[in-house]
Amino acid sequence: MASYKLNINNKEYAVEAEPQTPLLWVIRDEVGLTGTKYGCGIAQCGACTIHLNGSPVRSCSLPVSAGANQSITTIEGLSDDNSHPVQKAWLEVQAPQCGYCQSGQIMSAVALLNDKPSPTDQDIDQAMSGNICRCGTYPRIRKAIHLASKETTNGSK
Amino acid sequence: MEANKLDRRRFLKVTGLAGAMLAVGFDTLALGSSDSTFKKLMAEDLVKGTQLNPFVTISAEGEVTIMAHVPELGQGISQGIPAIIAEELGVSMSQVTIVKASASRQYGRQSIGGSRSVRSLFTPMRQLGASTKDVLVKAAANKWEIDPSGCEVKEGVVYRKGTNDSFTYGELVADAAKLELPKSPSLMDKKDFKIIGKATHRPDLAGKVNGTADYGIDAQTEGLLYATIERCPTLQGEVKSYDEVAAKSVKGVVEVMEVIRTVYGKKNTGIAVVADTYYAATEGRKKLNVQWNNAEFTKISTESMDKDMLELAKEEGMQHFEKGDFKENNNKKSSRGNIKIIGADYKLPHLSHTCMEPMNATVHVREDNTAEVWAPSQSPQVQRNFAKQLGIPDNEAEDKIKVHLPYLGGGFGRRSMNDSLEECFQISKSMRKPIKLIWSREDDTSQGPFRQTSFHRMTASFDLGDRIGVQHKVISPAITTQGRASNGRVPFEVMEAINTHYDFDDVSVRYAEYKNQVPIHWWRSVFGSTNAFPHESFIDEIAIELKSDPLQFRKEKLKSEPRYIKVLERLEKESNWNQKLGENEGKGVAIVESFGSIVAHAVFLKKENGQVTIPRVVSVVDCGIYVNPDQVKAQTEGNIIFGLTAALKDAITFKDGAAQQANFDTYRMLRMNEAPKDIQVHLIENDEAPGGVGEPGLPPIAPALGNAIFNLTGNRIRVLPFDLQKV
Repeated sequence: MASYKLNINNKEYAVEAEPQTPLLWVIRDEVGLTGTKYGCGIAQCGACTIHLNGSPVRSCSLPVSAGANQSITTIEGLSDDNSHPVQKAWLEVQAPQCGYCQSGQIMSAVALLNDKPSPTDQDIDQAMSGNICRCGTYPRIRKAIHLASKETTNGSK
Repeated sequence: MEANKLDRRRFLKVTGLAGAMLAVGFDTLALGSSDSTFKKLMAEDLVKGTQLNPFVTISAEGEVTIMAHVPELGQGISQGIPAIIAEELGVSMSQVTIVKASASRQYGRQSIGGSRSVRSLFTPMRQLGASTKDVLVKAAANKWEIDPSGCEVKEGVVYRKGTNDSFTYGELVADAAKLELPKSPSLMDKKDFKIIGKATHRPDLAGKVNGTADYGIDAQTEGLLYATIERCPTLQGEVKSYDEVAAKSVKGVVEVMEVIRTVYGKKNTGIAVVADTYYAATEGRKKLNVQWNNAEFTKISTESMDKDMLELAKEEGMQHFEKGDFKENNNKKSSRGNIKIIGADYKLPHLSHTCMEPMNATVHVREDNTAEVWAPSQSPQVQRNFAKQLGIPDNEAEDKIKVHLPYLGGGFGRRSMNDSLEECFQISKSMRKPIKLIWSREDDTSQGPFRQTSFHRMTASFDLGDRIGVQHKVISPAITTQGRASNGRVPFEVMEAINTHYDFDDVSVRYAEYKNQVPIHWWRSVFGSTNAFPHESFIDEIAIELKSDPLQFRKEKLKSEPRYIKVLERLEKESNWNQKLGENEGKGVAIVESFGSIVAHAVFLKKENGQVTIPRVVSVVDCGIYVNPDQVKAQTEGNIIFGLTAALKDAITFKDGAAQQANFDTYRMLRMNEAPKDIQVHLIENDEAPGGVGEPGLPPIAPALGNAIFNLTGNRIRVLPFDLQKV
């Protein structure tokens, strides 16, 4: 058992955990932020995607020790009121169905748009194919990403 | 860490409007329930106002709350049913706060499946809304001392016709609550619908884009312990030995115990490891080294099952449908010597449901014998069952056992089996502590129950353009007869999606049941997912044999079925079916009626740089009257991708009695880059009774794809799954 300081969504949390505990479970069960989901545990499905220092990572495959003293962003950190452009676009196209994979989808999409503000369909394929959706919302996710891109690039003009 | 206190204002801020969805479950879960006092912290307890019936509460200020009682697994029903009530109630959706209900008999039946929620609730919920409106109107009429016919309603206000007098529902509710709800209220005209039939935003999606939506796996309560269970790889087998001491040596593990999982009457023991963190539980489980007595269950394999089904295909089978006389006329044609027979065998494998949220349950059986349950289930009313096991009288079950109904991260039929709830209940009952049981993805994929495997023997006989006979013989296990002997009748579920309307002269549909040890269960579209592929592929085989365009052939053979024709004509138009395609393009069509609706897909393929892709799918759906057209489209898009995954990705195969696939590395899913980029769904407008929406879009996609492959390559696909790049 060890103590760790986690900076999540610009807030400090002090947690106790075994060093090899996946960061996913610490975020969910010790910190209580359950928006990040367990889907497979082997980094294959993307449901656990968070940002570590701005880059998308699979929290199921990162030990808590690797998350300490870094800057972590989870789905809860995107906004207080669903005002993030990606959240707005997601709601505009009504992307989620069961919604379980959507936290991870959104985190991957945000990272994509931070990197490529005007992604092509190929860019979307590449960035988003690590996130599985069993309900089949891929077409709407694609639409939402294009919409968010348009809104953001329009807004910045 | 601080518990999140329920903050209604913050929540409404997050969701934007008063017309929001209050997923009360999440925030109240954090408040928990202490051991010493059994707090009533169900969604219903926080609804303010005067209750007019279990579904509708109105406050003096006119706030309308409608309970969403049907489990929400992505189909949008948590908005759909309240929308139906709101329509007849005479309020707009922006005046309504939808609250996700708990599991309780007061709502009637809450179990879902078979795409039947709107189908079965459309009229009853309309009646409920209308009768509630009627008592509010009566209350106003009483105040004015006039007949109710002198009143009219608009958006939660009752107006006295020809005057400026009005009362809001808030002003009327106290009086209305004293009146008896009429049994047969008059219902609105479809042409007056303002909500039903219109695309509306789902309120529950607000919480699904910010991490606040409460799924079963997110349950939180004071003192929660975590459990994981090691089960027999061959699904059945006895525990020979396990190393309890080794498991308990892992820091954090507090208990190791045997748990029984019952699947269609078969009881099998697993070993549960309980710990103060999920990680510790899984580490403890790794040390169990369970030895199993399961030799008798290791003999079965996919190979052996395929062989068995092939053997069964030789049998006559049980009659399901006979028109004309297939057998007799076949023989007649044979004796005349001018017959052509085409026969084809089709085969489909076992599949896993693979909800993105793996199976889980949270149960707290307390020392005082009361219980709190978080049941992400398609059949969440577990009170009676648990009460029986706790020695609680039936009429006290709902007082003593509270059942939260979280969002389901996918259901697809799997969550209609409550095996994970039963397992969790056993652990909590034994330990009298709150337990969260989580199935690993590996458990979830490989422990079943599964979508059935099946074998199909198709035969068509042509009297050189004259009498056509078609036979579809289905060989498969059945769901409802598991655990008991065959009773000589065709189980009702096994004939879904077999279209006997095609105007062939002789039509024969027969069934041979294949009993085997692999448990199966309802899977999205059930036997529609296995019957439509051979049936609609074979229709193409016949069409091509007769040198007919497959879509025109279907129009010809279904010409006495107007709803089918309308769907085919619309598909022909919307897909530009008759346009000639390029060298490296292919197209295929299929039309299937299942679960009360008719759906047709046109699949378009392209071969470029040696890669085959599915750029476009065009769909037409006739589901009768629909509540939210955007959700019908969403479900159909989802069905297409679910069905393409089944056709193109991994099967569940068995070796030595165990499933060989466990996680997404070996049981792969269709991903963003492989999904069709252009899916267009068109809805037929009519006044027919509502049909299902959650499943009907699935059966036609595999045959449409197979038919397109034939069109592109000349190769006929008869076994699923297949590799799109190897056609």
